[in-house]
Amino acid sequence: MPSSPSTPPDSRQVQALMDAVQAAQTADDLTAAVEDLSACPHPMAIPCLIQVLGFNNPGAAVAAVDGLVAIGSAAVPAILANLDEYNYGARAWSVRALAGIGDLRGLPLLERALAQDIGPSVRRAAARGMGGLQPHGFTAQQRQELAERILPQLKAACGDEEWIVRYAVAVALESMEHWWQPLAPQRQRLLHTLQPLADPQRETAPVVWLRARLALSRLAAASPVTRA
Amino acid sequence: METAVVSFFLLFSMSQGTPLNEAQALDWLRQLEDAGQRYYAAWWLGRMRSHHPETVPLLIQALAERGPHPDPASGIDEPNPIARNAARALGKLADARAVAPLLEALASCDDGLREAAARSLGQLGALKARRPILQRLAPGPLVAGAPRPGTSRLMEPCEALLEALGALGWQEEDGSSIITDREPVLAVVRAYGDHERPLIRSAAYRSLLQLTREDRWGEQLVNLLQHNELQVRRAALLDLGVTGWRPAGSAIARTLAENSLKLIALRGLVENSPARNQASPSPSPEEVELLLAMDDLL
Repeated sequence: MPSSPSTPPDSRQVQALMDAVQAAQTADDLTAAVEDLSACPHPMAIPCLIQVLGFNNPGAAVAAVDGLVAIGSAAVPAILANLDEYNYGARAWSVRALAGIGDLRGLPLLERALAQDIGPSVRRAAARGMGGLQPHGFTAQQRQELAERILPQLKAACGDEEWIVRYAVAVALESMEHWWQPLAPQRQRLLHTLQPLADPQRETAPVVWLRARLALSRLAAASPVTRA
Repeated sequence: METAVVSFFLLFSMSQGTPLNEAQALDWLRQLEDAGQRYYAAWWLGRMRSHHPETVPLLIQALAERGPHPDPASGIDEPNPIARNAARALGKLADARAVAPLLEALASCDDGLREAAARSLGQLGALKARRPILQRLAPGPLVAGAPRPGTSRLMEPCEALLEALGALGWQEEDGSSIITDREPVLAVVRAYGDHERPLIRSAAYRSLLQLTREDRWGEQLVNLLQHNELQVRRAALLDLGVTGWRPAGSAIARTLAENSLKLIALRGLVENSPARNQASPSPSPEEVELLLAMDDLL
């Protein structure tokens, strides 16, 4: 990944990169052009990057998601306003972008996607995003309330029929610890929620219980008691 | 193809009312008037892994059925559709009674039925299938692998036959010991590593990697991850996953393809590798690296 330039890209430069995206003739050219545009994250590029999410070109879509995530919160309203109800692929990429940005305005969409979307790739991205929220400026009390809202939803998704969604839930439960920073009793609840996924008797996919066990061991290693 | 089949069944089930339970699916397979219902029921019983005592006998009966002719109006677009679906379903049900009738199907003049039978025999680990599969492949890529005039298919369903050989491994037919004279089998499979179609090469490399664990075949599959056709990159991803060849991990993560497929492939590297210690309750350092690569793709 190219690092962000030391000086912000000027608008002429961004316009030229967007023109290159529009002019791309082949799938590979498109991917290369979107990668270049995403390396210069600028709010001007938001509509162009969102458009790419609907092209059914995985390489270009990955690059566009990277670009939107790099732009961050400024991209959230446009992503929410442009959701395509009839294109699973595009919707999955939008949820992935919102998941990567971690902006709380995306949370209702992530919640609805995790509970209801028929596409496993959409539910998977939603779960990951709910674990990776970035509640900047929240008080301990607000973070606690947010965790109370999210934890039962992730717990319910432990029963998802698709292994990859359960895998994403294990990852999300581990990563929500970073912003939640729960006290001992709440921490126990978090570990307890991970337990069924870590149990080979109850979880059929070995990769899921291996991931859940990794989460449990890393949470144990990072526990406040050990840290002190 | 899988997608087309599934969407047909979704449409069919919506038009007929979905058989939501096993008893109804069995009734549909038992009756003989409505071919569409039989076709759907055979698929449903396999997909739902039905364990009903009547399931396997009814599917074996259906496997012997020939016709009806494809009828685009009904959504059935393949010859011998009921027998083919029965063959596919039997591969999912792990019942040894299916082996003998599937071996018969492997000798059918319908190459699509041979394809379904070969895949299922591989899934069932039917060691008796090794010899007839080898015989079908032995004429080589220019004969068995020649294009079938007027179609996009080959004379033999090479992909399925090669994959089945890899799945069967090296146990002797009676299961008593391990084959030591491996060169005759390997020579047949290696010839398909030069087939003009990349999907056939991918199947041959996958099979060779499973049979020999030699890195060179894994490297060939990794090369296919850079192929300019998405369809080929997808096949190579799934083939690597089946082999569990862990050196492919970072190349898989970088492949231009859907994350869903890359995740399936990486799961395969974690679960199917000979290095996986079944007794260990936690991931090894190498497995942790694969898991973290998966995290980045969610």
